[in-house]
Amino acid sequence: MIRALDIYITSMKNSFAARMAYRADFFFCCIMIFISELLFPLLTMLIYSTGGTFPGWNLAEVMVLQGVFMLSKGAANLLFFGVVYNTLSRVREGTYDLLMIKPVSTLYISVASGFEPDSIGTVLGGLLVIAYSLGKLSQPNAMQWLRFALIFFLSVLVMFAFAVLMAATVFKWVGNSRIYEIFDNITAFGNYPRSIFSKSFQNIISFIIPVGIIAFYPASALLGKDISGILPSICICVIFLLGSLALWKFMLSRYTSAGG
Amino acid sequence: MGIININELKKVYTTYERGSSFLDTVKSLFVRKPIDIEALKGITLNIEEGELLGFLGPNGAGKSTTLKILTGVLYPTSGKVDVMGYTPWKQRKAYVSRIGAVFGQKSQLIWDIPPLDSFEMNRAIYGIPSQDYRRRLDEMTQMLSLENIIRKPTRQLSLGERMKCEFIMAMLHAPRIVFLDEPTIGLDVIAKEKIRDFILEQNKRGVTFILTTHDLGDVEQLARRVVVVNYGEIVFDDTVDSLRKLSGIKKRVELATKKELPDLSGMPGVQLTGRTSPCHAELELDMEQLELNMFLQNINQNYVISDLTMSDPPIESVIKELYTQKERQPVTL
Amino acid sequence: MSIIKAAAGPALKAASIMKAVAFATYKEWAAYRSHAMVSLFVGPVYFLVQIFIWKAVFSSRGSINGLSLDQMINYFGVAVLINYLIMDFADWNLQMLISTGKFLSYMLRPMSHIYFALSQKVGHRVLGFTIEFIPVYLILFFVFGVRIVPARPVFAVISIMLGFIMMFLVDYCVGITAFWLTRTSGVRRMFLLLRDICSGMFLPLTFFPDVLQKILFYLPFQFIAYVPVRVCVGSYELGGISLDIPRIVGIQAVAVLAMSVFTVVFFKLGTKRFTGVGA
Repeated sequence: MIRALDIYITSMKNSFAARMAYRADFFFCCIMIFISELLFPLLTMLIYSTGGTFPGWNLAEVMVLQGVFMLSKGAANLLFFGVVYNTLSRVREGTYDLLMIKPVSTLYISVASGFEPDSIGTVLGGLLVIAYSLGKLSQPNAMQWLRFALIFFLSVLVMFAFAVLMAATVFKWVGNSRIYEIFDNITAFGNYPRSIFSKSFQNIISFIIPVGIIAFYPASALLGKDISGILPSICICVIFLLGSLALWKFMLSRYTSAGG
Repeated sequence: MGIININELKKVYTTYERGSSFLDTVKSLFVRKPIDIEALKGITLNIEEGELLGFLGPNGAGKSTTLKILTGVLYPTSGKVDVMGYTPWKQRKAYVSRIGAVFGQKSQLIWDIPPLDSFEMNRAIYGIPSQDYRRRLDEMTQMLSLENIIRKPTRQLSLGERMKCEFIMAMLHAPRIVFLDEPTIGLDVIAKEKIRDFILEQNKRGVTFILTTHDLGDVEQLARRVVVVNYGEIVFDDTVDSLRKLSGIKKRVELATKKELPDLSGMPGVQLTGRTSPCHAELELDMEQLELNMFLQNINQNYVISDLTMSDPPIESVIKELYTQKERQPVTL
Repeated sequence: MSIIKAAAGPALKAASIMKAVAFATYKEWAAYRSHAMVSLFVGPVYFLVQIFIWKAVFSSRGSINGLSLDQMINYFGVAVLINYLIMDFADWNLQMLISTGKFLSYMLRPMSHIYFALSQKVGHRVLGFTIEFIPVYLILFFVFGVRIVPARPVFAVISIMLGFIMMFLVDYCVGITAFWLTRTSGVRRMFLLLRDICSGMFLPLTFFPDVLQKILFYLPFQFIAYVPVRVCVGSYELGGISLDIPRIVGIQAVAVLAMSVFTVVFFKLGTKRFTGVGA
């Protein structure tokens, strides 16, 4: 455990130092990411300003939801999403083997060496949007915060499952950098209140691909909205994570039998 | 029982046929034709602790497949491998903490930060106790005279300096076996020498090295034993000396004579390799087919020798022969 | 007559170069069939999300910003499709060539890299037309029932071609910044974001505040996607300015010409700076 932490922290330091070699670009990237993440809330504001609404949600509430989405995505990007690009580029360049000759879990090391400092912009953007929007609403009580924290943990877990799933895919699917587009595409459903989707789609994002848990449920919990349907979603989350890990294992063993 | 024991190791890859025309591309969306490629056809090899083994073969001969299996990166199709009591691909983690690897073409260093930070990474990954880490790091930086180098960003280092750092990276955790894949590729003479000295020194201290390379200078100066693979099989396994002797049955002769020489290639065991003037010829003689003294006497009597140099063919030509010996089996890709 | 002949020589040569480069690019990318498969998924799913959003938004009212639900959905359908015809990675490619020093080999060729890159884009998009545009068009047509037929097909085609060139020029200029910057990821992020927002990919530009719309009219971005989309939909409006189709396409052509001149000048300045990093 201590060694695992040691590895992660050393690796994090290195990623940070490497990024700092291009300091100006780093700060610029952070700011740009920060601004581009504000895009979704901005579009929502434009829609509301012209008189459109999402049924059952006022503007500040939708922005809390989208802020939570940013926060979850930001945390994921910062901490472990680098695993996808890391795997992709290493498999393509034939340097994945270098990770496999290390005496630790290959998944762990490819996660650890994928720390992505730029995403601090996304995290800050999320926090800002949540804080700003909550300021316009009645303050959540301690229970709501607690519920939020627990569900938000699950949200990050789902993100981790997505990261592992994508990393598993790029073993076979060498060179497909568009994998992120698919991810953004699927999770886009999580950026809006569940109620705007048709019944069948609500079921898909709750019970098949747990996109609802990324932002809809944590935001609902924070805002004191009804989250009665969450239990099956939590189970799906766990299954999704286990499934992703299993697929990753399977793909790694295929990789080791086929060679680079 | 050696430190590495390989028995009847086989590896078959399955790939798919992929056409290039538009129609082929569309077709390949639906049906793909599998093709089996036998990369290793049953390799048996034992290596003793402390050996420095040169592992050679032309591109695509099965070298890197063997190396990948031995580093635990690849599963074989069949066969047994026992290295220090481990089966590499089965007990990967425990096994790889006891080996090291240097790839001349794949860097383990992080480009934008000093090598020292990359070394730190390996300290954490291999769980090297801080004291050991410091001691080994100091020792190796001194040996390779890198004291001032390891704090500069990697991207500012010369290729030679980088390669030396790769060695430190691979050996900080005191591995018993180190795999080297083209460790001197692209280096200048001085850097090469420094690295070869380092390898020899580490070998003296008991580290086993498996050296894969296309640089025969590496082999001649470092290895005592040479294994050559080709077409997925071992075609030579003996000492470097006997590799040289293999060429000993042939001699290269440069002849200058007073009288004009005829075309000598008609004589049994004689091959004409060069001709610059009527009185001058370069020959390759096969000692199994002709008596050297008889041949020279004969030439001297008929054409009067004015100058003569004789040499063994370089090791390259032996290797070349080993590489091209057998017909390449047709492989459809 | 002789003038025509004199001009025909280089023009033919340029055409044959473009054909050769485009064809090679087409073949190169045909190998990445999975890239195309991604489009077949991403485009329709993005479109589906838009349908849900706008259905929800329109549920309480009949029109927003003068657009009905059907027009809105049509707008996004056309935007998704046009994207397949005009997208490129010219910025990424050029900055990569410069920062790795590979650009040197293009300096040694007897042709401008701008033209080479444009030819590559032609090949890439011809491929995109066959394996992305057509399938997605059919999906939108049959699955979503979106019947997209431009009101004035000839102008639509011209406008899309101009959008194709404009996108290339904008991206290429972003790539040129690599002559001055060691790392361009920040700048590229900024411009691509600006491009996507200001070109109307995410939202019709008429949703923006009036002042912003007036500024956007004079920037190159609207000519990338917003203009072609509006031309296909059949009506153009921005910043309170309504124009008929031939006129806005004419303005688009002038804008593309101006942007071309700018690109060439900017590129010349850049190559002067080029020091052959890493070569």
